[in-house]
Amino acid sequence: MDKRLHFEDFAAGQVYSLGTHRITAEEIIDFATEFDPQPQHLDPEAAKASILRGLAASGWHLCALAMRMMVDGLFVRAASMGSPGVDDVQWRRPVYAGDNLRLDAEVLETRPSSRADRGYVRVRFTMSRTNETGERERVMLFVSSVIVGRERENA
Amino acid sequence: MWFEDFQIGQKVVLGSYTFTEENILAFAKKYDPQPFHVDKAAAEKSIYGGLIASGWHTAAVWMKLMIANRRAAIAAGAQSVQDNFVSPGVREIRWLKPVRPGTTLTYVNESFAKLDWPTLPQFGLIEGRNEARDESGALYYSFINRVLIARRNPLIRR
Repeated sequence: MDKRLHFEDFAAGQVYSLGTHRITAEEIIDFATEFDPQPQHLDPEAAKASILRGLAASGWHLCALAMRMMVDGLFVRAASMGSPGVDDVQWRRPVYAGDNLRLDAEVLETRPSSRADRGYVRVRFTMSRTNETGERERVMLFVSSVIVGRERENA
Repeated sequence: MWFEDFQIGQKVVLGSYTFTEENILAFAKKYDPQPFHVDKAAAEKSIYGGLIASGWHTAAVWMKLMIANRRAAIAAGAQSVQDNFVSPGVREIRWLKPVRPGTTLTYVNESFAKLDWPTLPQFGLIEGRNEARDESGALYYSFINRVLIARRNPLIRR
């Protein structure tokens, strides 16, 4: 029996905690070297002089990291078939080496597809970290539709 | 080049990138290990009928080409007052066609808006539409980027 989560299992209002990840300077520099080679993402000294005031992750790195956390935290047990896109990516605050990141997902809406074997699940993803005073602050938000397989074909 | 000098409506060809089985797998193993991105046999049985690039790989390549294009322009004598660029976010990311090994995409940026960004009065915001197409002109990917550009004269808060 297929125990994965299917389209039928998702409903507006559900929240999923997708795990935590402590980001390292090595990871930040590794991503930036290939895809975003700017001083604020590569060089701790030069980064201090930038508007971000320290070595900070590329926003695209945070998107890729959120994807990895989604795969590990949800899609290993859900019938994901990809995504047509993402709306309104907000990079709210710089993310620094050593930040302990957490990803949460909130289901906003579910919608059957015209194709019988799948449906769309619209999700708000929120990446947050614990700040110096122990409070959680949001560092990145985005909303994405995920294509999820149906357990039973919609006749 | 200051925000005040920026002319919107310019179309800039940022560059091209060829997606290969090797770079698709390398990206996806790190950041998006879903079967249709990391496992050829599983990908063939998926709705995509074969291996495809992670959408975030297609997205990250835009940044790579944007930086390379900017460096080339500066090397060719363009004036720049900023050596790093930050963005408050992007909008309307659309993955329109699956990107398969062997596909070469050319990325084009066209700025269309200049906006105040009151929380950072020393900057202004430029918005641009971005498209990635293959050699036949088919559109694979699009989104709207936003970048903060330094102002010569910081915005006066009222």
